[in-house]
Amino acid sequence: MVNDSLVYPTVFELFVAVGGSLITCIVALLYVRRVRLERPAIGVFNRRDICILFSFIVLLPLLYVILPQWALTSFLVLTFSASVSIGYRPLLSPAVLWPALGFLIGLNIWMARNLLGSVLGWQIYWVENSILVVLGAVAVANLYCQGGMRLKHVSWFALILAVYDAVFTLKWPVTNTLAERFLGYPLDPSVAFRMGIYNASIGLGDLLVYALFTITALKAYGWTAARVSLVVVTIFGAVVPALAPLVFRQFIDARTDLVVPAQTAFGPIAFLCYLWFKRRWGVERTTAEFFASQDVPGNAPVVVAVPATVPDRIPASA
Amino acid sequence: MFETGIRQFRMAMGMVWGRKLDTRNLARLVDDALATIAEFGEPGADARELVDGPFADPRARIEFANRGLRRTADRLGRESPFYARRFAAADLDPKKLDLERLRSIPVTVKRDLIERQSDFRCPDVPPHLATRTTGTTGNPAEIWMSRYEVELWSGMSALTGVLREEIKPSDIMQVNQSSRATAAVHLTARICRLVGAGCRVLGVVPPDEALDSLSQGGSTLMSASPSYLGELVVAARRRGMGPADFSLRRIDTGGEILSPSLAAAARATFGVGRVNDTFGMTEVIPVSATTCSHGHLHHDLNMGLAELLDLETGEPAEPGALSTVVITPYYPFRECMPVFRYDTRDVVRALPDEPLTCEISGMPATSKIVGKADQLIRLGPNDVVTPRELAEAVEALPSEPWPARFRPLLRDGRVKLLLPSSALAGLGEADARQHFEDRGLDVDLVPVPDEQAIGLRNLRCDLRETTFVAAPALIGD
Repeated sequence: MVNDSLVYPTVFELFVAVGGSLITCIVALLYVRRVRLERPAIGVFNRRDICILFSFIVLLPLLYVILPQWALTSFLVLTFSASVSIGYRPLLSPAVLWPALGFLIGLNIWMARNLLGSVLGWQIYWVENSILVVLGAVAVANLYCQGGMRLKHVSWFALILAVYDAVFTLKWPVTNTLAERFLGYPLDPSVAFRMGIYNASIGLGDLLVYALFTITALKAYGWTAARVSLVVVTIFGAVVPALAPLVFRQFIDARTDLVVPAQTAFGPIAFLCYLWFKRRWGVERTTAEFFASQDVPGNAPVVVAVPATVPDRIPASA
Repeated sequence: MFETGIRQFRMAMGMVWGRKLDTRNLARLVDDALATIAEFGEPGADARELVDGPFADPRARIEFANRGLRRTADRLGRESPFYARRFAAADLDPKKLDLERLRSIPVTVKRDLIERQSDFRCPDVPPHLATRTTGTTGNPAEIWMSRYEVELWSGMSALTGVLREEIKPSDIMQVNQSSRATAAVHLTARICRLVGAGCRVLGVVPPDEALDSLSQGGSTLMSASPSYLGELVVAARRRGMGPADFSLRRIDTGGEILSPSLAAAARATFGVGRVNDTFGMTEVIPVSATTCSHGHLHHDLNMGLAELLDLETGEPAEPGALSTVVITPYYPFRECMPVFRYDTRDVVRALPDEPLTCEISGMPATSKIVGKADQLIRLGPNDVVTPRELAEAVEALPSEPWPARFRPLLRDGRVKLLLPSSALAGLGEADARQHFEDRGLDVDLVPVPDEQAIGLRNLRCDLRETTFVAAPALIGD
């Protein structure tokens, strides 16, 4: 039974989630095809890195909850500065990059302290904040993907996150607490917008996983896989989680906020999608093979020499 | 990737603080480097600095050397009976040692090592493997290595080789070094194991057997002395073999003079792009040097100090001067039977004090080794004939007499050069003389019967190992 009071916020969330997911994934795709990130002399992403990443994901929210606000903001400034500066160093000179980054972060802090008294103020804040978040998600996704992270790793990661997200949203509502903790303060790690009294958002972590899934699919199997991934991200990463509160009341918390564990919907489907890709196309391409492929601009298509005449069949006497 | 970062950090800290390195950590870094190349096709942009070290900056080089010398001297003063006495005699405080004060310590010579071998052993380290010099330039010296040293040197070499893409898991290395060169053979086998490459240790067998193995066994890398390489080239040409018969991609040589004409012939015969001419010496292992495409010899300063001392004065050599290479392997890269300021008596020329433009310009360089100090022929204060000049001239003769057999004698202020008759085949006396004059050598040529050729000059290819394959059958067919 659909509750009419939920229709507006869920449709609003649908637009924000789909828009945020698609913009992040498409920008990440453009980036991976055109920009080469520096990487260390030795090192390639592997299974143990997934475990380390997962440990961070479990511990960081706890840190976010217990840190005083000034420390949390400082931590976020550091995180955004690091991710954006690493990601856009190949595109901008330091003389442009650092002032631009300082301006974006400074403006965000100023807006969070001065503009959030009106809907228009919130909207301007969210647009600026979302630009920073998309830039950060695209940079980190590419850092991992160009560092050797494979579709296999991302799929396993998404599957584990599916369980984590369900537990920490429905059983122990850490995600809900975090959403409250960030709202109205600088550098909220979400792509979001405001209409009337409603704030609709999608978290940086979700966007990072979607971007990773899409670009590692492109790296592993090419454009067809990337297109399928975009469809999976849109439906199971944005549409299904956005509409879920219409069906499941469990996602409405005590403050009547709608907090949906998006990875719980996305993770299992992403994993199945990976298994299908693997069955269909076999072994994933390496990063070197991807950069040498026609999926990257500037690589000339391979011309296959075809004999002028090909006999229909070889005579038996040959 | 995170783990690799931690491993690299551990290794870097070990090197900075001079602590013993964790060889298991090093072996895992080799695996990481292999995985990196498998994924990306090449190591990251910083690989060169990781391998060659931060030695382009002279100040960093001096600071690194001073730290290495202090910790090495500090340990030797405590653990090595030979150096405890030597440092005490020089009234040396190891903690204050630097490149300036280093000159107060006399150099160590081979005789010290042979006559007082046990005094060089550090009792705090259990010996594991002994290796001997081959003795082609004198009495052999024996060096003991610890298990840690064997694991460390092979790990460092494997990591460097993988990052420089000199060795890959798909390679098969054929080792045509004397099996008595225990360290070289043992380390090569361990390097191949760490990288996952194949290793075929043949030894100095009859050249035809080595060629059969090369052509049928799919070897992609070969290690041989220049003289044995000369024998292989001659044998391959006799059999009409060419690049299509081999799958080699690189040949490593060292320990003797490699002439440009032999290197070119080896490249053409075996179809390889490059013949690596390296410097390595049992006594100063693991410090080594490699030759760049500009013909410079670059010493690896990560694991030891290479000094150039003027042959006449014993002071640091001026540019252009003939100088002996004096090497100090640093602790913790050498621990069981270390040497300090070991005079190799290998002679080089110091290069002009100008920036280098070669592919390893970050590492200081000298000329190639021109010969052993006791083999130089002095005709005047500034007129010296070096073994390299003679070997290169002989090996460039139209008869292609590889490896070069000759013996120079100084008689009445002139050089008489004894050569096998066959080396001068096809040349009249005047043409032969002109050949040497064109190379700046005013020598009197003295042909000797070919049977005496081997006695003219000791070469590593003479350390021939017998096999049953070449022996005539006594019974049956």
